Amino acid sequence: MIVFSINEETMSQTKFIVRKVAVLGAGVMGAQIAAHLVNAKVPTVLFDLPAKEGDKNGIAKKAIEALKKQKPSPLASKDAVNHIQPANYDDHLHLLKDCDLVIEAIAERMDWKADLYKKVAPHLGENSIFATNTSGLSINSLADSLPAELKPRFCGVHFFNPPRYMHLVEIIPCVGSDAVILDNLERFLVTTLGKGVVRAKDTPNFVANRIGVFSMLATIANAEKFGIRFDVVDDLTGPRLGRPKSATFRTADVVGLDTFAHVVKTMQDTLPNDPWHGLYKSPEWLQKLIAAGALGAKTKVGIYKKEGKQMFVLDPAKGEYVGSGEKGDDSVKDILKNPDIGARFKALRESAHPQAQFLWACFRDVFHYIGFHLADIANSARDVDFAIRWGFGWSTGPFETWQAAGWQQVAKWVEEDIKAGKGLSSADLPAWVLEADRGGVHFAEGSFNPAQNKLEGRSTLDVYARQLTPAKVLGEKSGLLGETVYENDGVRAFTTGDEILVVSFKSKAHAIGPDVLDGLNAALDIAEDRFKGLVVWQTEEPFSVGADLQSMLPAFMTGDWEAIETMIRRFQQTSMRMRYSQIPTVAATQGYVFGGGCEIAMHCDRVVGALESYVGLVEVGVGLLPGGGGCKEFALRAAQEARGDVLAALKDYFMGIATAKVATSAMEAQEIGFFKKSDIVVFNAYELLYVAKQQALAMAESGYRPPLKVKSFPVAGRSGAASIKGQLVNMLEGNFISKHDFFIASQIADVMTGGDVEAGTEVNEQWILDLERKAFMTLLKNSKTQDRIANMLTTGKPLRN
Amino acid sequence: MVKQVQEAYIVAATRTPVGKAPRGMLRHVRPDDMLAHVITGALAQVPNLDPKLISDCVVGCAFPEAEQGLNMARIGVLLAGLPDTVGGITINRYCSSGINAVQIAADRIRMGEADVVIAAGSESMSMVPMMGNKVSINPEVFAKDENYAIAYGMGLTAEKVAQQWGVSREDQDAFAVESHRRALAAIDSGAFKSEITPLATTYRVPNLETGEVQLINKVLENDEGPRRETTLEGLAKLKTVFDAKGSVTAGNSSQMSDGAGAVIIVSERVLKEFNLTPIGRYVTFSVKGVPPAIMGIGPKEAIPAALKQAGLSQSDLKWIELNEAFAAQALAVIRDLDLDTSVINPHGGAIALGHPLGATGAIRTATLLHGMRNRGEKGYGMVTMCIGTGMGAAGIIEVL
Repeated sequence: MIVFSINEETMSQTKFIVRKVAVLGAGVMGAQIAAHLVNAKVPTVLFDLPAKEGDKNGIAKKAIEALKKQKPSPLASKDAVNHIQPANYDDHLHLLKDCDLVIEAIAERMDWKADLYKKVAPHLGENSIFATNTSGLSINSLADSLPAELKPRFCGVHFFNPPRYMHLVEIIPCVGSDAVILDNLERFLVTTLGKGVVRAKDTPNFVANRIGVFSMLATIANAEKFGIRFDVVDDLTGPRLGRPKSATFRTADVVGLDTFAHVVKTMQDTLPNDPWHGLYKSPEWLQKLIAAGALGAKTKVGIYKKEGKQMFVLDPAKGEYVGSGEKGDDSVKDILKNPDIGARFKALRESAHPQAQFLWACFRDVFHYIGFHLADIANSARDVDFAIRWGFGWSTGPFETWQAAGWQQVAKWVEEDIKAGKGLSSADLPAWVLEADRGGVHFAEGSFNPAQNKLEGRSTLDVYARQLTPAKVLGEKSGLLGETVYENDGVRAFTTGDEILVVSFKSKAHAIGPDVLDGLNAALDIAEDRFKGLVVWQTEEPFSVGADLQSMLPAFMTGDWEAIETMIRRFQQTSMRMRYSQIPTVAATQGYVFGGGCEIAMHCDRVVGALESYVGLVEVGVGLLPGGGGCKEFALRAAQEARGDVLAALKDYFMGIATAKVATSAMEAQEIGFFKKSDIVVFNAYELLYVAKQQALAMAESGYRPPLKVKSFPVAGRSGAASIKGQLVNMLEGNFISKHDFFIASQIADVMTGGDVEAGTEVNEQWILDLERKAFMTLLKNSKTQDRIANMLTTGKPLRN
Repeated sequence: MVKQVQEAYIVAATRTPVGKAPRGMLRHVRPDDMLAHVITGALAQVPNLDPKLISDCVVGCAFPEAEQGLNMARIGVLLAGLPDTVGGITINRYCSSGINAVQIAADRIRMGEADVVIAAGSESMSMVPMMGNKVSINPEVFAKDENYAIAYGMGLTAEKVAQQWGVSREDQDAFAVESHRRALAAIDSGAFKSEITPLATTYRVPNLETGEVQLINKVLENDEGPRRETTLEGLAKLKTVFDAKGSVTAGNSSQMSDGAGAVIIVSERVLKEFNLTPIGRYVTFSVKGVPPAIMGIGPKEAIPAALKQAGLSQSDLKWIELNEAFAAQALAVIRDLDLDTSVINPHGGAIALGHPLGATGAIRTATLLHGMRNRGEKGYGMVTMCIGTGMGAAGIIEVL
């Protein structure tokens, strides 16, 4: 009996099964959260109010339908959406009892939420977690509308828009939240949904929005102060600062100006004593836009609007739209190019240029704000940096930036500016900021928590043991993972002591050149000799953009075709070794898995793909075809899948290569066939290496033997190629493809159908590899292909010729 | 030249209502079942006729494979309950298969070698798609440039005709709107009632809730294709599908359809012996080849050839069923031959009514016969169409 109860207790702490989830509210966020849940194979019931007319599930159904059209797609696979069950509060509350997690995501009105809580509370399952996706309302106030027995199972769970793509989820406990419940929820969010969790305090707008929205308000205020046009602001506050392209005002348009104003209003209403309270109001021009129904992207008109091909931006002074596209001043942009952040700030601060002054002011006010508020709103400086990085897409968090620029110097500048009345508030910096020996907030031992005046280490929750290389903040202990076993200019192979050799590419964008091929072969040799398996994993995305065209350039320039063909042959041999080596091979992919990178992955025994793996054999973009075994692999798979009709099985694969089709998720890669159905999709990219090693070990421990070499397989042959060309002729004559497109596609068709042989005759892998390589060389020697390659190398964009 | 020994008379003609493919009302009705249905329906129009006298059943089908393979003609004959002695032959010349069935059946009689022959056509584009289940093109097509056009899709050839004959997008769309208007007017006035044999369908679908097979019963009486909501503005918004810079859209092309039609053709001797009323007399048929790239222009060659064979002129034709494969080709033919548009497709055409490929010739023969007779008109009518890989066909019938 006692043993049983102990078991039960440990179970409840480490094992949290989510059979089904309910999302209450089918607005943009609710529906997209539901979409991400079904992406993760969690059946989800999506509730909304009963429709007044027609089908009572009409509102939820409409929201589900809309998911199919949104870009970027909230859905990772075609089938997923069918697992969202539409429901309404009149007829389906009984469904809640089977939902282990219920996420409320209705409009941000305290009274509406309270009413809904009363309605649903009696129907919740005994152990269900009930969480609200509010973006800023007080969790404790919301908890007050719940029956006492539900409070321990209640908390805030704040997703960011769009929830599939934004890594951040804030968990906000209420006073009575049960610690076990919070841990279980965090495990689910991190592993199942792949999110980055920050535990936030229950203060208005929590961490990310509190600071991110302040940063936007400060930018708006400083833009006005220094007279900077909105399009110039966006040019200066986007990628030049390591922030998203949408920068400041475009972000507001995307978020929705009404939503933005609402968040600001929450700050205005709930932070009366905040030294920046005067700033918490929507500027007049914003109020006018909202009143006119110009709410941003969703109404097609906001701060920006598009007429035909011309973009216009609001001029707040004139209250009218003016032609958009003005950039920042070159002298200011040059300052931003300086890699030394401290020098950058110094130059901005000392420049007389209003744009430079504006930028420094924006940074200064954010530093002032985060220094002042850190103690009240977050558990550590690390949480602030992660929240802003994961919730607002900044490459570096504000504390990291400050620390990198030199803590003391920046603190002194901020202090001076405050004293000089230049800041948006005159509040003093807290004493800890100005401590004489302070070198920053992030240290090897942890990040600073001023509320308790201590350094906070990493969460010890078991789920983080799966992250072998978690996200790091600057200043944190970092370094190469594991012990280096082999290294050359192309790769580093290492082990963490578990008998698995991990190989990572060192090249730019992990392009595959001769060094990488040499390194892969060396790693295969070593792994066969001393390890149980080999994992190809990169320290950061992308997995690989494909063959390194740049490395071929010298041979290309001198017309040394033999050298290039030798490299292609080497590539093919490497692919084949990945397939037939004596140890299991696993590709751990995330980001772009293009061209040669895709071919390497396709030849591994297994792919462990992060959800956000973008996969394609995109060689036609540079006028080539897959020459590293990609054509061969699809021809082989088609033959293996064909039930008598090789051509029918081949057609979609052909189109995949001929149109450079890119899968926009690991699941779509499985649907198209780049990845196999038996491959593994991992939702949290930080868990990728852990899972890949587990897969390699499992294969090894299951008595791994390399697959037997395919003796022979049938091809679609010359009449198969003719049938494909029949379609191509129609595309060419119908002006859908160019003559060169037709030529490339015909080459691909000839290779994939096995060349000039009869339909149904048998070939082997090497036969197709040889065809592939010859066609690659034919194309490479073609001037139009050469133009495509040159264009890609100089502009980074494909040329259609 | 072989001499005709006797006349061939049509004594019955009927068709199914035409459904949209691949998701329309006939999607679950097999083409051999449709065939049996129209054979039975045609025979019902001549109850006096002894089925034992039927020597053969000639059936047109453009993609005679899978559900419409296995010599569908013979299967249809047997399913219709005709005596074992009745033959069956499935023939194919794509879109003219149905009118060629009539021609072959009539010629058997005109030669004096048969007294009663059924001519029919049946096609389910829901079950067997355009180009069949397995497309396989001869590699020789790509060996010479001049053979490329063999691989052209029909839509692309329509674009080529539109370009060469200068048929504008606006004219094509206007032609399509008129096709729908005429078809709807015909349906609303009950003009198709006498030619359509209503089809009772039973679809068996699984009821996953109850675990039972659910029967959905319907009696289909009307064509499914014509759209009341079709407007010029609506059509103008459609994107071109066959040429990025072209003018041919789904809206000004024929619809993909399911359907069947049948006629019974007899000799003069049988006519008298069984006291049958002839509704038409078969006159002649002609086929002409044209370049595959502009297959749609085919009728331009076939129509004058057929008229010449019959010693008739265009003005003798009181009703022309000109298959609207595409508005572009129909307009090019009409304009080049200066055809009288008032006699062309008075009840609408394939853009509205649909085009079940190999069945169309038989179906439109029924429309021609009943259409003229319902108006109390007698005289010459024509069924004509263009044919894939570059042909035109035209058959002439004297409506009695």
